[in-house]
Amino acid sequence: MVMQSIDPHVEELLGQYRGLLHVFSQMAEVIPDKLKGFFEEAGFVVAAVEHRVKTEDSLKGKLEKKGDKYRDIFDITDIVGLRVITFYTEDIGKVASVLERLFEIDWENSIDKRKAHETDSFGYLSLHYICRIPESSYSDPEHPELNKIRFEVQMRTILQHAWANMNHDTGYKSGVEIPKVYLRNLSRLAGMLELVDDEFSRIRRELSDYRRKVQQLVASGDLSEVELDRDSFVSYLKIKPFDRLTRKIASINQAEVQEVDISAFMPIFKAMGFKTLGDIDKLVKDYSEAAYQIACFQIGLTDIDILSTVVAPQNLCTAYILKNGGGKLGLKLMLDALNGKSESNEAMAGFLLEECKDLPFMNQ
Amino acid sequence: MDIKISKENGVVTAFLVGRLDTPAAQETAPVFDSLKQDASGTIVLDCSELSYISSSGLRHFLTVRKAAAASGGKVIVRSISDDIRAVFMMTGFLNLFEIR
Repeated sequence: MVMQSIDPHVEELLGQYRGLLHVFSQMAEVIPDKLKGFFEEAGFVVAAVEHRVKTEDSLKGKLEKKGDKYRDIFDITDIVGLRVITFYTEDIGKVASVLERLFEIDWENSIDKRKAHETDSFGYLSLHYICRIPESSYSDPEHPELNKIRFEVQMRTILQHAWANMNHDTGYKSGVEIPKVYLRNLSRLAGMLELVDDEFSRIRRELSDYRRKVQQLVASGDLSEVELDRDSFVSYLKIKPFDRLTRKIASINQAEVQEVDISAFMPIFKAMGFKTLGDIDKLVKDYSEAAYQIACFQIGLTDIDILSTVVAPQNLCTAYILKNGGGKLGLKLMLDALNGKSESNEAMAGFLLEECKDLPFMNQ
Repeated sequence: MDIKISKENGVVTAFLVGRLDTPAAQETAPVFDSLKQDASGTIVLDCSELSYISSSGLRHFLTVRKAAAASGGKVIVRSISDDIRAVFMMTGFLNLFEIR
C-alpha cells in the first residue's frame, strides 16, 4: 500500500487551522448575530443568514490544489463563510451597505459577480465581500486573531441561491463531464430566474407606488377614487375616520376609550357591498346619528365607563345592516366576521335586533 | 365574589364566582395582578359562575390581556353567559378575547 505524503506546507497550514478552530467557531457565532441584530433594528427582512466553518477535509482539498498560494492561514479568506439570502435583487445592495458599516471590507479580494457576466451569458450572479471584524465592532482580548482573520460573505437572492444549489449538485459533484445540452438548459434556467427576480422587484416597486398614491388620495380627501382593500383601509384608519363618533359615544358616560385594532372591519365593509373608501365615509356621515342612538340605548342607563374603538364602527355597521334589510342574519354574519364564528353570535344578533327595533332611526 | 386559581399543564385557570362589581373588583385586584405573572402562557378566565361584570371588572380582564399580549401569552374567556357577552359586545371588547 502506498501512503500519499502530505506537502509540509499544507500540513503547516492545517496545523494553524486546528489551532484557530475555536476562534473560527466563535466568529461563526458572533458575525451572524451582529448582522441579524442590525437587520432587526432596521426592520430589514432577509430570507436567511447562513454560516459555516470550512471543515478540515474541505480545507485540505483546497490546499492540495493551490496551497502554495497561501503563506499562512490568515491568507485564506473563506474558512469562515456567511451567506445572506435576500428576497429581492435590490436588497443585495442594502445588505452590502450594512456590511460596509459593520465590517472592514477587503475590496481587492471582494467580487461582484453581478457585473462579471457577458451580454450573451447567464449564470451565477452574486456579490461576495471579504471582510474583517474591526476592534471597534467586536473584540476578545483572549483571541486577538479574531480581528485579523478575514471571512467571506456571499449575498444573493433566494432564486439565485436555488439556481446555484441546483447547478452545484448537477455540475460539480458527479465528476463526469456534463453534456453541453444540460449546461445550456441550466443557463436557460438562470436567465429565466433573473427575469423572475426582476419581475418580483417590479411588482414590489409598483405596490409601493400604489400605497403612496393611496396615502396621497386619503390625505387629500378624494376617497371615492380609492378602492377598498387591506392597504387602503390601513391608510384610511390613520386619519381616524371613526374618532368623532367614538368621542361622542364615550361622552354618554364619560367613558375611557381603549384604542384597539379595528382592521377586522375591512371584510365586513366588503361584505356590505362597499367598493371604495368613499362608501365608508358616506356611512360615517349618514349613519353616525343611528350608531349614537344604539350606544345611548345600550349604555346610557348603565355605569359602564370603559369602551373600545370597536364600538363606533360596530354600531355603524349594525345600523346600516338593519336599515338595509339585513336583519338578524346580517347582524350574525357581521358578528361572525368580527368575533369568529360561534353559535352565540346568533343570540347576540337577536339581542341587537331586539334592542334596535324601536329606536328612532329604524322608523326614519 | 370569589376567585379560585388552578394551574395544570402550564395553563392557569381563574374560576370567577359571583358578581364582579366595583367593590368586588377592588377586592380582587391583587388576584388579577398575580395572574400577570403567568402572562407568557395561557390564562383561562372561567366565567361559568360569573353573574355580573362592571367596568372595573372589564378593566381587570383588559389588564390581564395586555400583559399576555406583551409576553406572547393568550387569554381565553370561557363559558360566559349571554348577559355578560352582551356587555362585552356593547363595549367593543368581544373580539379582543378568545371566547369559548
